[in-house]
Amino acid sequence: MTSIEKLVVDDRERGLFRVHRSAFTSEEIFKREQEQIFNESWLYVGHESEIANPNDFHTRRVGGRTVIYTRDRHGEIQVMLNSCRHRGAEVCRERRGNRKVFTCFYHGWAYNNEGKLVAVPDGDSYSEEFDRAEHGLHKPRSETYRGFTFVNFGAAAPSLEIYLADARYLIDLVADQSTTGMQIVRGIHNYSMRANWKLLMENSCDGYHGFTVHQTYFEMMMNLGVTPGLIADKSNGSGRELGNGHAVAESPELGMPLMSEEILAATTERRAAMVARLGEAHTKRMLNTTRNLILFPNMALIDLNFGIQVRTMFPTAPDRTEITGWQLMPKDAPAAVKPYRIDNALTFWGPAGLATPDDVEGLEQCQRGFASMREIEWSDISRGMRSAEPTAVDELQMRSFWRQWNERITGEKSLPEGPRYDTSYLGGATPDAVLETSGSGPSQ
Amino acid sequence: MTNNLQSSELTRSDVEEFLYWEAALLDEWRLEEWLDLFTIDCLYEIPAPDRPDDDPGETFALIHDHRAMLEQRVIRLKKPTAHAEFPHSRTRRMISNVRILGRGADELKVGANFAVFRMRQGIEVTYVGRYEYVLIPRTDGLKIRHRKAILDQEVLDPHGKISIIL
Repeated sequence: MTSIEKLVVDDRERGLFRVHRSAFTSEEIFKREQEQIFNESWLYVGHESEIANPNDFHTRRVGGRTVIYTRDRHGEIQVMLNSCRHRGAEVCRERRGNRKVFTCFYHGWAYNNEGKLVAVPDGDSYSEEFDRAEHGLHKPRSETYRGFTFVNFGAAAPSLEIYLADARYLIDLVADQSTTGMQIVRGIHNYSMRANWKLLMENSCDGYHGFTVHQTYFEMMMNLGVTPGLIADKSNGSGRELGNGHAVAESPELGMPLMSEEILAATTERRAAMVARLGEAHTKRMLNTTRNLILFPNMALIDLNFGIQVRTMFPTAPDRTEITGWQLMPKDAPAAVKPYRIDNALTFWGPAGLATPDDVEGLEQCQRGFASMREIEWSDISRGMRSAEPTAVDELQMRSFWRQWNERITGEKSLPEGPRYDTSYLGGATPDAVLETSGSGPSQ
Repeated sequence: MTNNLQSSELTRSDVEEFLYWEAALLDEWRLEEWLDLFTIDCLYEIPAPDRPDDDPGETFALIHDHRAMLEQRVIRLKKPTAHAEFPHSRTRRMISNVRILGRGADELKVGANFAVFRMRQGIEVTYVGRYEYVLIPRTDGLKIRHRKAILDQEVLDPHGKISIIL
């Protein structure tokens, strides 16, 4: 540990919450995060729609490793480490494609897409003790929930479903938007940030920054004749803890820029079909609230109604983060609605959008400000701490994340804060209480 | 009334002159004048870095601005509340390898390479790629109907953001 005695001050009585800024700058803490968080948590890999057909694959970086995310010849989802068991070279150097066999070009060892070692050139030269069956591609634990595939490099973690706790409701609210399934749109945003990854986790569920950071985005909407939901409705939504460090900020709908008569008609028709399928309360929660969900440790699933952003953020240094953004779409969205959603999504999100660059700027400015850490040691995350009904512009969401982070790093446990996520829209068909039973941390 | 320029009479030199003028307007942050170079039915787009050949209208691209959004992008960038560009980056554009790729009755297809240097707060990044233009000859000079900037960078690291016009 560093010389700091406490990294998180969680004073429930006084309603004060502070995080020590070394959490964003320390090399020692960065290393601990790799071991105690990223090596032990469920980490998002990809969505099953990206590997729709047998033998489809993507390679991507997850938790510092390169993995092959593929659907094998039998249709099963596989996640395998992209490293030859012989000398270590990456066996697949393509970003995506369709392959039955991955052949390491170094000495020619070949693996099928279930990870089995199927060819070793000059294989007769190995002793009888050399067992090919033990030299398949390494497969970390992987599980898929509602189309979202995760891996876990640790051995002690609970199942993905238990780990997701109440966050499952929020994933369901996305996955249930189509009876034919959700689809990742072609095109991936890979970009970097000169700031600590946790700043982006905070930012991904932060309602408080909306009007200051994104003023120009809202002005654009109003210039184009849209009244953002927050302005029209005046409600500040809610912030809720979901267990295990997951949390959500939920707000009234933001409004839909550039809506044409055709899009409006298609959207109205789609909503009516949703009401017939799921009822009004469920539909309203699904289509007329915006939900900024964060999944501990490093994923965000953000539904702003005009688009659904899937995002991961991995640290490469205390002040460097690799970010990936994908766009999720109902497969059965009407033909006119698809490009409309894409336009809105990329105009808001992404490294050339009208909103995301300002977020990145804000986080990079925080990181620069941490240079004054000797004089200003603490960041404050107390907003709304003693409120009975925390809102989306309060900071309960971030506190939920930080409490879990603190438990993983220092072992210090904490109690939940605030009411549980309201599932009354399900009409009483609430699955078992998972928040209490799942506990927190990988050891349970 | 004067006649429109004829696409058949335009030379690479004419096109280069136009592209250098455009680059100068952008480097000098004269964005309203830059916007005036576009037609009403214009499109400015940057494909997704991993799908450079796919239609930005159907992929999660970086930019897909028709006129209305392009105007909003310019309005935004000139405000001090466009935080990513306050204070403004300094930029320097190098345009080269200009070629006329096709001539229609009233349009020119043009290709060019670019290197755009962006300097801000002591950090310097270089965006590299190529442009595809559809230019329309008018009485008052060339206008841009379609402007596509195709990045060679597949990962925006260390660029992080494309808050400038590329």
